[in-house]
Amino acid sequence: MKSGRINIARIMKYVILLLIVAFVALLLLYASGSSRPFDEVEESVSSSLDKSNLTLQDGAAFKRAFGLSGADYEGVMYYSSEFSISAEEVLLIKVNDESQAQEVREAIEERVEARKNDFDGYAPEEVKLLEDAVQSVRGTYIFFAAAPKAEEYLEVFSNSL
Amino acid sequence: MLFSSITFLFLFLPLVMAVYYIVPNKAKNVVFLIASLFFYAWGEPVYVVLMILSILFNYFCGRDIKANEEDQRKAKRSLAFAVAVNVLILGFFKYYGFILNTLNSVLPTDIPYRELPLPVGISFYTFQAISYLVDIYRKKADPQKNILYFALYISMFPQLIAGPIVRYVDIEAQLKNRKISVRRLGQGAVYFIIGLAKKVVIANSVGAVFEQIADMPASSLSVLTAWLGVFSYAFQIYFDFSGYSDMAVGLGKMFGFEFKKNFDYPYISKSITEFWRRWHISLSTWFREYVYIPLGGNRCSVSRNIFNLMAVWTLTGMWHGAAWNFIAWGVYYGVILVMEKYVWGASVDRLPGVVRHIYTMVLVLVGWVFFFSPSLGYALRYLGSMIGGGAGIVDSEGAFLLFTHWLLYLLAVLGSSALGLRLVNLVPRMLGNEKAKAAAAAVIYMGIFVISAAFLVTDTFNPFLYFRF
Repeated sequence: MKSGRINIARIMKYVILLLIVAFVALLLLYASGSSRPFDEVEESVSSSLDKSNLTLQDGAAFKRAFGLSGADYEGVMYYSSEFSISAEEVLLIKVNDESQAQEVREAIEERVEARKNDFDGYAPEEVKLLEDAVQSVRGTYIFFAAAPKAEEYLEVFSNSL
Repeated sequence: MLFSSITFLFLFLPLVMAVYYIVPNKAKNVVFLIASLFFYAWGEPVYVVLMILSILFNYFCGRDIKANEEDQRKAKRSLAFAVAVNVLILGFFKYYGFILNTLNSVLPTDIPYRELPLPVGISFYTFQAISYLVDIYRKKADPQKNILYFALYISMFPQLIAGPIVRYVDIEAQLKNRKISVRRLGQGAVYFIIGLAKKVVIANSVGAVFEQIADMPASSLSVLTAWLGVFSYAFQIYFDFSGYSDMAVGLGKMFGFEFKKNFDYPYISKSITEFWRRWHISLSTWFREYVYIPLGGNRCSVSRNIFNLMAVWTLTGMWHGAAWNFIAWGVYYGVILVMEKYVWGASVDRLPGVVRHIYTMVLVLVGWVFFFSPSLGYALRYLGSMIGGGAGIVDSEGAFLLFTHWLLYLLAVLGSSALGLRLVNLVPRMLGNEKAKAAAAAVIYMGIFVISAAFLVTDTFNPFLYFRF
């Protein structure tokens, strides 16, 4: 009986180790960030955007929209619509360290809620756009898109890392 | 989830405590474990899987070491395997980006790599797991048969994220049998409130001053501003980390556990050796038990002892983070501790107390410069400003910050010694009647809690500094 238990413990530790290795491999494939410079990721994402309703915004517009200062981060790319009746926008941020990621995520969530309230009642298609918005945190990169092609942009972002 | 967050204080904690106190004793560990996993998953929904796998791995490794105890060679091999896997996992998440980055910097290479965020608390729970395995090998503890108890030991939420690092032997009996009482609940609440106030009232406030100074170029600070900056950081990290530890100890008491204290007023120390007996006690104890003593400790030649000390302190620096400034910080303390032991320690002991205190604080503050600096170059420029190599002796920024925050610094100085707590408890102690004492203490601590909650409501997201380690 005792030797049976010994074997189980020994076998199980190797089984669990294999599961750990598999889990880390999956993380690297689907959840990792990247050492690629911000400029390169920005270039990939920016070139994929449909810019008919999106304009590259400056730091002041980014601050107005998200309440964050672009200077606090390694890189910020913010596109939004010039028309106030559109909720379309795309944001790419590279934070300096992971401790900044939480504040950016919170700012994005607050932004989405505020925009939903803005459009609620008169522009249901824009509310839908915000409800279907995508957000991804990959290491120090944070991506957010509220756009008809949001899923497409997200894929470009993931592949660019 | 942060202890110092509205969600934790007004939703998670009351709910978990209510269920924990209502359910029968047999079910308390289940409730506590579920709450702990939920607490971790709240902030780390992906990495909770890694923690569960780590729990399972170490549970079976512990049993395997025990199964081989009659054959010392096999037991040692089993321990070495288990420790190596734990260190590899920790090393992978913590250092592989740093190693590749360093290689890319020093070699003509550009090896691309995928970055993974550091799982919160991994340094702490990995060290707990290693202590468990080594203690089984040393026959100081038996492997835990009940996987639920072991999972609770690794994951219990009061000390999961930032310690203190609890050794299994210290808590083994409590996992099975512990007492909860109104008295202990009250004591725990007091610890928790003190910790909360340390974090949100003092640490976050001095941290804001430090951030302002850190945003200025290091080489253009006046002596006053540079010293104010390093004092601010020293107070921030002490009140932040010891505040977290107090909250952990307090929460432990509220759930019937007794954790050892992690801080013992380190800033009143009169030598660096004493400082490290008072600062992050659970980490120093861990390194002494599981690295320094196995290396030979001080029962060896002087040269070997110096090597042992330097190895432990380099590792201590590395434990804090994957960056050269942390390694430099660890080596810095290694050198000072060797010097105190073999060169100037006896001379320092003969100096008046106030001089020894100044000596200690200057060295500690210089150490914090290495610790908070993003690079070694920044640290050297900052140290240059501290001795007058920046923008003169006094500038308007430094004078303004000191003038507008002097009360905060006074509070921080008082809170860095036992005097602070004595002042808080002054009124209750003056009252003769026990009931009146209890009522006065309740009013005072409730007041501190309300003030802390008010700070929280107006504060932005402010995680604990030690979360990143």
